[in-house]
Amino acid sequence: MKETSNKHLIIAILLGLAFHGTSIFFTLETTYDALIHVFFADHYANSWFEPWNYEWYTGFTVMSYPPLVHQSIGLLSMIGGLKFGLFTVALLSILLFITGVYRFSLLITSNRTVAGYASILAVFSSSFVETLHIFGQLPSIIGISVLLHALPEIYLWLKTGKLWYLATSLSLVAVTVTSHHVTSIFGMVFFIFPLIGMVIFDVSSEQVKSIKEVTFKLFLNNFFKLFKRIITFGISSLVIIIGCILPYWINSKNNPITQVPIPHGSRDNFLEITSSGLVFFLIPWGILLILLPYIFYRYFSKRYIFFGLSITILTILGTGGTTPIPRMILGETAFNILTLDRFTLWASIMSLPLLGEFAYRFIEGDLKALIQSKFGPIYHRIIGGVLAGLFIFMSIFTMSLGYFRPLQPQKIKMLPIVNFLNQDDHDKWRFLTLGFGDQMAWLSAQTNAMTVDGNYHSARRLPELTTRPIERLENSKFKGVAGIGSLQQFLTTPEKYNLKYIFSNDKFYDPILYFSGWQRLRQLQNGIMVWERLNIAPVSSILYKDDVAKWQKIIWGVLPFLTLLIAFILNIQMLLVNALKIRPKKTPAFLKQSNNYSKFSNSILKITHFWSILLMVILFYSIYQFYLNNDSQRIPENVIVAYYDALDFKEFEKAYSLIDPESTITIAQYMLEIAVTDGLLSSYAKLDAIETVITSRNDSLATARITTDWVTPLEKINRVDYKSLSKHHNKWYIIPEGLDTDLPPDQLYSDSNTSFFNQGRRRITTEQTHHEDVLKQPVLEVLSAKLVKYKGHYAIIGEVQNIDNVPADVVLKGTLYNDDNKSLAVYNAKYHVKHKLLPKESSAFRINFEGIAWSKTQDSIPDTFNPDEFTPLDLDEQPTKFNLQVAGNVSGSDLYKNIAISELNINGKIINGNLFNSGIQEVTVPQLLISYYDENKTMLWVDHLFIKEGIRQQRKKGFEYEILNNGIVKIINDGMENVFVNGLPNKPISNKIIPNRIENHTNTELQKIKHPDFSYIKIETNSYIGNPN
Amino acid sequence: MQNKYTYISLLALILLSSFTLIQNSEVTPNFTLETSQIEFEAGSPIELKFSTLRKAVPLLYCSSSYGSTLIIPTYKRKILIYKIPYSISSKIGVVNWKLIYEDSLVSGKLQIRPKKEVSSMETYIGPPSIEAGGTDYTMLVVIPTDSLDNPFPENTLVLAKHQFLNSEKNEEIFTKNLISYKNIYSQKESGRILVSSESLGTNSKEFSVTVFPAIPIDFKISAKRPHGYADGNQITTFSTSIIVDKHNNIVSDATYVTFFITNEKGNVLKTSGATINGIATSKMIHPDYETQWSVKAYVDGIAESELIILKYKQVIKDFEVVFSENNRDITVGTLQSFMKQIIPDGLQVNLLIYKNNTLFKTETKTSFEGLVNFNLKPDIYKNDNYTIVVKTAGLEKTFNSRTLW
Repeated sequence: MKETSNKHLIIAILLGLAFHGTSIFFTLETTYDALIHVFFADHYANSWFEPWNYEWYTGFTVMSYPPLVHQSIGLLSMIGGLKFGLFTVALLSILLFITGVYRFSLLITSNRTVAGYASILAVFSSSFVETLHIFGQLPSIIGISVLLHALPEIYLWLKTGKLWYLATSLSLVAVTVTSHHVTSIFGMVFFIFPLIGMVIFDVSSEQVKSIKEVTFKLFLNNFFKLFKRIITFGISSLVIIIGCILPYWINSKNNPITQVPIPHGSRDNFLEITSSGLVFFLIPWGILLILLPYIFYRYFSKRYIFFGLSITILTILGTGGTTPIPRMILGETAFNILTLDRFTLWASIMSLPLLGEFAYRFIEGDLKALIQSKFGPIYHRIIGGVLAGLFIFMSIFTMSLGYFRPLQPQKIKMLPIVNFLNQDDHDKWRFLTLGFGDQMAWLSAQTNAMTVDGNYHSARRLPELTTRPIERLENSKFKGVAGIGSLQQFLTTPEKYNLKYIFSNDKFYDPILYFSGWQRLRQLQNGIMVWERLNIAPVSSILYKDDVAKWQKIIWGVLPFLTLLIAFILNIQMLLVNALKIRPKKTPAFLKQSNNYSKFSNSILKITHFWSILLMVILFYSIYQFYLNNDSQRIPENVIVAYYDALDFKEFEKAYSLIDPESTITIAQYMLEIAVTDGLLSSYAKLDAIETVITSRNDSLATARITTDWVTPLEKINRVDYKSLSKHHNKWYIIPEGLDTDLPPDQLYSDSNTSFFNQGRRRITTEQTHHEDVLKQPVLEVLSAKLVKYKGHYAIIGEVQNIDNVPADVVLKGTLYNDDNKSLAVYNAKYHVKHKLLPKESSAFRINFEGIAWSKTQDSIPDTFNPDEFTPLDLDEQPTKFNLQVAGNVSGSDLYKNIAISELNINGKIINGNLFNSGIQEVTVPQLLISYYDENKTMLWVDHLFIKEGIRQQRKKGFEYEILNNGIVKIINDGMENVFVNGLPNKPISNKIIPNRIENHTNTELQKIKHPDFSYIKIETNSYIGNPN
Repeated sequence: MQNKYTYISLLALILLSSFTLIQNSEVTPNFTLETSQIEFEAGSPIELKFSTLRKAVPLLYCSSSYGSTLIIPTYKRKILIYKIPYSISSKIGVVNWKLIYEDSLVSGKLQIRPKKEVSSMETYIGPPSIEAGGTDYTMLVVIPTDSLDNPFPENTLVLAKHQFLNSEKNEEIFTKNLISYKNIYSQKESGRILVSSESLGTNSKEFSVTVFPAIPIDFKISAKRPHGYADGNQITTFSTSIIVDKHNNIVSDATYVTFFITNEKGNVLKTSGATINGIATSKMIHPDYETQWSVKAYVDGIAESELIILKYKQVIKDFEVVFSENNRDITVGTLQSFMKQIIPDGLQVNLLIYKNNTLFKTETKTSFEGLVNFNLKPDIYKNDNYTIVVKTAGLEKTFNSRTLW
């Protein structure tokens, strides 16, 4: 039999390469995963045989992910760079996928035309488009594609028993496993097991007249007959799966994943969280949803019964947390580790042959005849048009999802950052990116500098990270308060990680950086703000490495490519033999099976119609619901939510459109009012939850109590607002509220102040021992320091003064000891100190001893975590002594001190007052440090208050502070003998500069309060300037 | 008995061994040092020549403070020539050598001296900033070195030169243990000391040390304001006198001064300033009620000012409160200032609402064109009897049991 080229397949390949090949250049780099693979590839390109990578997570091993795809990109990068490698491998994956679907379809349907249809449809199938263009999961695609290629070979081995087929199938299984481990493991279960069943059916049916006569007994007999082949394949593929990536399994055993579950959309309840339902259910299924009855009907026919079971399980598992079944099937652990979207992907790929079959039967087969005879040709054409239209719509919609809802921050030009890191040994310290999205992997691929963050959370080792349900530190704001809580530990004790530079692409994090003691260095050309922290030692030149045996490194470096090579030789050789017609080609055994495409089941057509109508009803109902919920002015609740959302996303024009038109505020006035409000709440807060209660309502007026929760980088803010609403022309509007009318006395005024500039090194040199330019560390004096216990928390409190003549950046590091001088805990001062002190300025401080949050109670992470709250360290032993190391470094930045306390009233437990900004900068986040004293004016405790609103120039802003509840502060130790300044003992150093200090000088100016445990307080001010001018 | 033999044999052994030693030393040396010079200038080529009768080519073990090495000789006409490597001959100090050949005991030492000219002055000075007053000092350390980076011998003369204000000084110091040093004390004035050094005609580059003023002493403060009225709008500026240290140096710029203000209620207000040319200024908005401020400034733990008293006169004598719309709309004003002009916008008016004699809620608004309007929303203030207190500018008006409906 002369075999002609399959035109459909050729069209599919050409279409696929043209369609995906052009679009990957616009999508792949903004996908979730692609750049991670590029980073791994960069690792292999630089050190092929060394699995330890220092760049992420203070070091991790790349043996935690199968290497083939990364190594391929790495190898190709030698020719044309990493991106060239990425796109080449992506193109190959497209080719592999289309041909893979073709071969799989041929295997299932035994019909070249049907397989051709399937391969064309596969090009545009929304699950493939999503996996490639949105998720960027190249290893996953290559893994499943190669597995699809392996299936016919496995079939032939089982059917014919020729060793050649065993070799080809095993070679392809080997490539699968070195590309993606999860695919090969679950592929065995969901693709190969049903295939084995199908082979046994085929063998059985050959012994009787038709498949209908195959009995269970016959099936069982043939199963035992084929058992040897099955078991040979089973055992050898198991050996290959284990052997080819043996170091991976060893590594998984030695370093079990300690990461707490990180929430993933595929585990959500899709009915509750509709966005997850869209991305992880609707899109991957796409048009297949309409054909579900047909797919299940076909797969539950006798021959395919095992595929039917398999696709049922896959479909159910793919529904994530919508039903409790996936959790029950997989068990709690696997459910929380696996991302369940892959099951839907596999189910949709398994459906592709039947989609091809359906298309074939609809376009030129029995279904066409049936519909035309029943409903007429016009109906057939309309239905065809609708189905094709829907299919293409899903494909375009999926492809452009990233356009409508950007998956990533805007593309960041990395060159200025790479240059910055190369300059002046900046790469001797670790860095951290904030707000980069997955592009942080691309930065890491381009530089040798190390970061504490990373983008492959399974490989993390630091308990600070593994105990947190967050993907990356850099996007911690999206992980709500748990994310910020994790980030702040790194920001407070950066010296532990040699973390000196932060590249911030998101101004949201600015306040937390400032109040943890970081300072702005400069803005790079690409708009990225560089923050630095003083007094951080560079990374040590010898770093920890979890070394593995040499044989493991060799296996890891050699085997993956070897499997590729062998598979290539074995399979391509066959192609060549066939193409050159060296020997006559035998028709593969599976083509001998045939399907009857002459009589389309009438009832299935009916069911499909019924099902489609049902889907349509559901669709229109949900669209209607969507409209009701989003029609912002239909009911008062909606207008409130829409208004707060608009403010949260800074869509002020939309917010204005919700303002009562009768209020006579012009949009110019409204925008101006918005523009002049700055502060923690208006500039740095993210709306977390909103609850609206309509307290009264009549036809045209309503009032609402709105409880809102805001996550800010510093603390969680809970607010209750009352809003009035009015109704005009069937639409509800918000009645605006009055402004603060405070009028400053001066239109133009001047302010003189001293500014400082630190040259760094005056000579342009990287010489580290250029003594002349090394500034003396400013001398600080610790005026008092004591270890106290208040409500179960241990803390070191006290006062520090800059007694030098230059402004200083202050770093306070406290260590607790027990009676046996055993060190119990180390921590730095975070919010409770003014980190920048002018000459002779002093500041109260408090060092909290924070534990790694929730490390003990992994499963009881509070739902409502407050970033301001901290996890007190769980100390086994009683701390009795402390050591305080204070370091000063010259710093000329953030020295704005023009905030005055202009009014103060104490009413019982509440302190009301006004802050007045007398300078020429707008204060974005004012902070108060409140020290508490006993009746002898001994300092007992330090507290802080962030004021939610900013203070404009020459304006007042009221504040309200609630005096701490009753609670006795126990002073455990107030000995000053272990207090050191810049490594030298505190007292002797300060005695040289201030020999006759007036002790407790300003104690006469303490504010008296009425409180059972405290007698006096002192209030100090500190301020963060968001936009210095 | 047995011990006796043991002792005898032991003694005999000792005797015998000493005998062999003596015999060995009597053998004429196989290698004779021909080079007589034992002092060399650093960097000059050093060759050790030995004459020998044997044809052997032994190695020379050579050790200096920088390390040890073995040298292979060249052999020419019964003369062995050992070339000391440059890495050893360029460093001053003692070089020990020893020939290694069977039982040979030929050894000796060489002395390498620095070159005669100073080529660079290795100079360190620190700390780079000190305090005026004559007690703080910075230390100048000079190590004159030759072109091969060798320090000069003991008691090499070094001139330490420094300039401060009008004085220029030249002091002789001598190297000791290879370095020379000098403590340069500050004087009473603040300023900058320029330092350099010279040795054997070679001069170092210029170094500078900043002399910062010492800690401040007590000072005076003053206040300047456009008027003495408590209008809650104008700004009072506090200034210090020129703050100096005890040697009359103006304190360094940006010295932080805190002004504590205690008002008549006994509450402590606070503002701060940093000095420029010794004067710290700080601003404070006027209170909006009649009061008296006691102001005192501090440099914490170091110095303070005397106390000054400022009085602020009441501007608003009285105000009107109008209730309307079921008593839910409360208008306060017109609020007038000292010349009966409308008070500048922004005067705070507090509305305290008491229910059954307990404070139910406080509302605060700021005046606009002399008026403040409160609207008591029925969701918060249910229909009931309330006592309403209006407070502004230190004045207070109470309206007992007003019914809201």
